[in-house]
Order: sequence, then structure tokens, then C-alpha cells
Amino acid sequence: MKDGLHQDRAGSTFKALRSLLPVLVILALIALVPLFSPSNRFLSLAISAGINVIALYGLSVLFGQTGILSMGHAALVGVGAYAAAILARDFGVGFWAALPAAALASAAFAMIVGIPSLRVGGHHFVIMTFAFGQLLAIVLTNGGDYTGAATGLDLAGPVTLFGADMSDLTRYYLMVVAFVTAAAVASWAIINSSYGRTLRAIRENEKLAASLGINVGRHKIGAFVVSGVFAGISGVLLAYFLGHISPSQFSSFPSIYLALMVMIGGARLIEGPLAGGILVAFLPEVLNLDPVQSRIVYGVCLIAVIMLLPDGLIGGIVRALRAVLSGKPKQETEQRNAAEARR
Amino acid sequence: MRAVDIFIQQILNGLSIASVITLIAIGVTLIFGLTGIINFAHGEFLMIGGIVTWLAVSAGLGFPLAVVLAILAVGLMGYILERGLFRFTLERPTNGFIVSLGLIVVLQHVVVLFWNPNQKSIPRPLTTVWEVGGVRIASVRVMVIAITIAVVALSFRMITASRYGRALRASVEDRDTAALMGIPVRRYITGVFVLGSALAGLGGALLIALFPITPFTGGTMVMKGFAVALIGGLGNIYGAVAAGLILGIVEGFSAGYGFSQWTDAYSFALMILVLIVRPHGLFGGTSGPRMAS
Amino acid sequence: MSPILAISGLSKQFGGVTALAGVDLTIEEGEILGVVGPNGSGKTTLFNVVTGVHRPSGGTVLFRGHDITGLKPHAISRAGIGYTFQQAMAFAGLGVLENVRIAGEHVGTGGTANPWPTPQALLDFVGLSAVTNEKAGVLPFGSLRLLGLALALATRPSLLLLDEPAAGLNDRETTALVGLVRQLPGHGISVCVIDHDMKLMQMLCRRLAVLDFGSKIADGPTETVLADPKVLEVYLGGDL
Repeated sequence: MKDGLHQDRAGSTFKALRSLLPVLVILALIALVPLFSPSNRFLSLAISAGINVIALYGLSVLFGQTGILSMGHAALVGVGAYAAAILARDFGVGFWAALPAAALASAAFAMIVGIPSLRVGGHHFVIMTFAFGQLLAIVLTNGGDYTGAATGLDLAGPVTLFGADMSDLTRYYLMVVAFVTAAAVASWAIINSSYGRTLRAIRENEKLAASLGINVGRHKIGAFVVSGVFAGISGVLLAYFLGHISPSQFSSFPSIYLALMVMIGGARLIEGPLAGGILVAFLPEVLNLDPVQSRIVYGVCLIAVIMLLPDGLIGGIVRALRAVLSGKPKQETEQRNAAEARR
Repeated sequence: MRAVDIFIQQILNGLSIASVITLIAIGVTLIFGLTGIINFAHGEFLMIGGIVTWLAVSAGLGFPLAVVLAILAVGLMGYILERGLFRFTLERPTNGFIVSLGLIVVLQHVVVLFWNPNQKSIPRPLTTVWEVGGVRIASVRVMVIAITIAVVALSFRMITASRYGRALRASVEDRDTAALMGIPVRRYITGVFVLGSALAGLGGALLIALFPITPFTGGTMVMKGFAVALIGGLGNIYGAVAAGLILGIVEGFSAGYGFSQWTDAYSFALMILVLIVRPHGLFGGTSGPRMAS
Repeated sequence: MSPILAISGLSKQFGGVTALAGVDLTIEEGEILGVVGPNGSGKTTLFNVVTGVHRPSGGTVLFRGHDITGLKPHAISRAGIGYTFQQAMAFAGLGVLENVRIAGEHVGTGGTANPWPTPQALLDFVGLSAVTNEKAGVLPFGSLRLLGLALALATRPSLLLLDEPAAGLNDRETTALVGLVRQLPGHGISVCVIDHDMKLMQMLCRRLAVLDFGSKIADGPTETVLADPKVLEVYLGGDL
């Protein structure tokens, strides 16, 4: 029996590691891109995408694992960005010290939003996060000199690592790739921990989860706070990359785009956030669309993914591949249908 | 102007804003009550109503005809979207919500694509301004309020007095039981979508009669509609009307007394507060049909 | 023997409706108690109040001498009371093994010594070891019920409350379930079964308590209770 257990543990750890591998390989390839001397435009796009992906990994813990959708996620990114800018301006705090501080600020904001929002229950939570997001944008706009009002704040601090200036586009790109890797590993570690299982239990059935000793309310708020940490770090990277931030970047419509990205990629898979962030950033380039057209395409994609591929694009592709490889797609769909029908 | 005149003026301004918000909120509250779908795109339905009105008036049609066209066009749009999209998300309302987010993006940018992102306005359909004892009353505002009262009263009558209305309320109360009682709930869902959309179309037409609109007007308006629906209690039409009045007047006063930059904040703050203190709204409502999960 | 659970004067009103009118009930250490009653007699309300789904309007619940009245559902579980629902049995979207793992990861201070040291051992006990790697959602209904039982057992309870555990099971499955539940007292787990199915109750319980209109009308050895004219009257033309 004991041996069986060890084997089982070792087996599942191996399986878990294997699920991380594709992401690591892709990220390693992405880190090699500067060797092909890409254009500055490409690097900028990639950096923006990477910064989004970091926040998306947090959102995937919240939505993919816990089943809670936040429509105010850009606000959490904004708290991180403004925290970095204000800390630099008023206290001379630099990039590295701003990271934990901003993560803490976003996490605290998540808790302040989360406690009342989650108390009012699933249906209303989404609207509450959206309202808090709008409210934050209004507060930032009316914050006078302290928040720079509608024009926002400038941030001109250098980013150095071991004495090297990271502000150079290629170096910043590599740093963002490193952060994305850290975010992916962190999110993978959460998914494969007992904490991740707890969150999934809540996603599947709150009542049953509570009957098994899980404090559902506390863990939901906890998941929101965890996603806030990811968002805060993403906000610092964004503020230092752009050198200027303004309220409109963090209002509710950027939040919709974040939700859209995680949904297009698929929130439950470790590849999802990466795929969603990259697709949404580069699709317009590839298809040569102007911003207006590309947004229409995103919207249509989102609707199509939800209606046709509920696991997201990557989830759908993985499922299709598995079906083709195992050669018995029919049985799987039948099983799925049977499971759906019972629900 | 005397203080009391300004006061009355602000009430009138507030009421005309409240009218448009109430028209959205009724649709929001009915659709949510019946299907559990949080349709954020409802604000875009309103915006499309305004755009149709603008197109019709620009093409030389009169305002009344433009209003009818807006109602018909948006009602038809609601029918198509319900049949084509939302009907398939009934078992999973969260998916319906996500679909509505996609629709927001699509509808906004389709309008931008064809008619650019700039402000659009029509000449005021009524230009008379009455002076009653020092109070300046713009007739166009009175028109908006009057049309809304008439439409809301008509909807009330339909819902409270007719057989269909009773069946509808039973369905909002408990969809499954209503279906067991032989009420064709699916058809009612379509009907409510069309009615809600038509009201949003009307709201859009009235909105552009008051203010210029942009393709992005829907975003803030739908949040106000939801705020009102939530404050009133989701599924509760009376609550929606009462809450719409409260919000409109609060906003009117705020703008009239020099806090216009905070106007948009009230609905959100008020809504958050109400939900924390009284999760089922001030006037009570359903928490929506039980989730499929 | 001291009672493991002592309910006294437990009442619950919904609006103006009285669902429980001051119920006294004890569950003895190591027994399998049956709580029966027709629909609307207050059985499910009793279950919901004890498990923390509803707050009682009055009365107390003592579990091994500690007051657990009005605790939240997760705290009840952590105190050492396991319970299963009629409807929500398992996490449909997750694997069978993962289901059991989750259930074993939130054992509170009230958890007892573990008769089943691994998830696999527990699945062996309930007879689901063959489907360890399946998704719970694809299991047949009878297996889902057994998985639900396994989840409750994984929280290492010293008292297990079962709400209509055999609903929807065929005769063979019911017999299997009865066989399992009967073994529980031997593993140090007292059981309380809430059901209106008299056949099941006769198979499982030596003692029965009968609820009607929110009050307890009988309590004693199964044969005595079943011969009680008051009970017969309640069940006249019913499930007996």
C-alpha cells in the first residue's frame, strides 16, 4: 500500500512537471528572439504582451481554478502601477523595492474589494469588480496633483540589475520574459498544490467544498488577493516600461480585454494565459488589421470561443489533438455529453 | 435665479436623466430575472438606438419616425442576438455574460468602423423653453420624461394586468416551476429580450435628443442601468423605477451644484453600498434563477 | 455511554413557518440512528441546522460536550462531523482520486484516527478502486453516491450524517451501501441516517426517531417505534 502511494505521488509529480515543460520550452524560445535582431516595434509589442501575461496568470488562478470572474482586473494592475509611480516620486523608491510594495498594495486593494464583493455572492461579484474598477478610474481622474488627474503620472526612474541598465528595449524584454516565466511557474505551483485543489473544489461545488471543511469565503478572497499580487507586479513593469500612466489605462474596458485574453487562451491550462496574451497582442500585426478592425475580431473570437470551445482556444486544440491521437474522439465526446447531461 | 428655482431645475434635469436610465434598467432587470444573464451589452443596445436615430434624422426623417425606427431596429437586434447567441447560454449564465462582453467590443467598434468615433448629435426635436416663475423648463426634457412615464406605465399594465404579465412574473419568480405549469418560458425569454432591447432603443433615441452620444456612451450608461437594477433588486421592476428616480435626482443635483466630475461615481458607490448592506436590493428581488453548476 | 451528539430544544422558523419546534435528540457513541418522518416533517431542516447551513432560531447542539450551535458548515466538518447531501455528491469536473484527496486535506482538530490511511485505501473500502483515474462526472449514479460517502469519510469524522443516502439507488446498490454503513461503527464512526425509506431504516438502524410537523413524536428501538400507533398514523398509507 505504502509503495503504491509513493509511486502514485511520484507519478503525479512527474505528470505535473510534464505539464509545465511545454511552457518552459516556449518561453526559452521566446527568450532567444533577440538573437534575430527584431524590430523595436516587435519588442515593444512583445513587452506589452508579456506584462499582460503576468496579470493573466493571476487571473487564471482566479477564474480558471476558483471559477470567479473579475471584470476589474485592470484596476488591480493600475493600483500596482500608481503605487510604483507615487513611491518613486514621493519616496525615491526604485524599481526593485517597488515590486513587493506594489504587489502588497494590489493585494490589499483586492482584499478591500473582495471582502464585500464576495459576500454578495457569485452573480453580483462580477458587477462589483466592474464597479470598483470604474470607481478607481474616477478617483484617479479626480485625484488632483497627487494622482496627476486625467493626464496621469510620469515615471522616469532607471531600472538596473546588478549594475546593468535594464531600460534598453532588449534587456527589458528579457527581464519581462523572466518575470513571465516566474509567473507561469508560480501559477503552475499553485495549480498542482493542495491549495490549487482547494480552489478547484470551490469552483466545482461550493456547498460540497464547505461540507468537507473548506472555508469557501476565505479561500475565494484569498484567490482574489493572490491574483492581486500578480496584477501588482504586472503594474510595476508596465509603469516602468511606459514611463507614463493614466487612469484610462486601468478603467473597466482594459479589464474586459484582460478577461478576453484569458478566455481566448483558456483559463484552466498553464499554456492559456501565455497563448491568450500573445494572440491578442500579435493577431492584428499578423492579419494587418487596424485597431478598430482588430477589436472587432477579438470580440468575435471571444464569442466564438465561448460558444464553441468552452475550454479556450488552446484547450480546444489540445482536446482535438488528444482525440486525433487516441483515435477515438467519439467515445470522449459521448462521455462528455453524458457528463453534461447529468448536470 | 432663486435657490428654489435652481432646485426645481435640477430635479427636472435629474428626472430626464433618470428616464433614460430607467428604460435601460427595466430591460436589465427583466432579462436578469428571467435568464440570470448579466447582459452588459445592453448599454450598446442603447447606443445603437441613438445611432439609428441620428442616421434617420440625418437622412431627413422626422424625430418621431426616427424614434420608431430605433425601437424597431434595436428590438430586432435583440431578437436576433437572443435567438442566435444568448439562447445557447441559458444553462450557463456566466457564459451569457462573457458573450455580452464580446458583443460590447464588437458593437462599439462596428459603429466606429462605419461612422467614426466622434460625437454625434441631432438638432433638438423640441426647442421651446418655457419660463414658469423664473424656472426655465426645456420642453425636450419634459418630452423625455413624459414618454418614459407613458412607456413605463404601459409596461406596468402589461405586466401586472394581463395574463401574459402574470405568467411572466411567475417565470421570473421561479423558471422551473413556471415551465412545469405549462408556461412557455423559452418564448417568454425571447419576448423579454425583445421588449428590453426595444426599451433600450427608445432610451437611446431619447438620450440623443438630450445630449450628443459617442459609440462608447453605452459603457457608462449600462453600469448605471445595472446600478439601478441592483439597487432596486434584480427582477423587480418597481424597484428599478424607484431606484432610477433616486439616482437621476442625485446625479442632477450633483451636476447642478458643482460636483459634475463625481457624477459617474455615485451610481457605482451607491450600488456597492446597497449590495453590501442589502444584497437583494433596497426593494427586494430575486437572486436570479439558480445557477446550472 | 455518553451521547456523541446531544440536540436540545432545537427550533427553526422560516418567516412565520415553524419547521422545527424544539426537538430533543441524542446520538449515542457507536450507534446507527435513523431519523424518519414524512416529507415536510422537518428532517431536512434538522440536517441543515445541525450542519450549519441554517442558523437555528433556538436550542443547542452539543458535539462530544462542545457547543457547536450555529457554526458554519466548514467548521462543523472540521469539528469532526461528516455529512453527505442528497444532491451534491462529488466534484463532477475533477478526477475520482483528486476528489478524495481534496476531502482529506481539510481535516480539523476534531478528526479521528484514520482507518483508511490513503485515498486509495478509502476507495478500496467503498469499492471504487477500479475507477480511480476516471472523472467523477462520468461515473454512474450509484458510484457517485459511494464517492460522496468516501468524501465524507475522508474528513475523518467521528459522526457521520447521511441525508437520504439511498435515494436513486437500485436494490443491489442499496444493499452494498447498507453493508458499508454497517461497518462504520466498527471503525469508530457513529452514524445518523435521515430518510423516509422505512425498508432502508429497518436494515440499518436499531433505534429510530420519528419527526412530524417539526416535533419528535417517537424515539426508541426500531421494533417498538414501528409498532407505535402515533407513528402508524403518521405513516398510514405512506411508505410503510
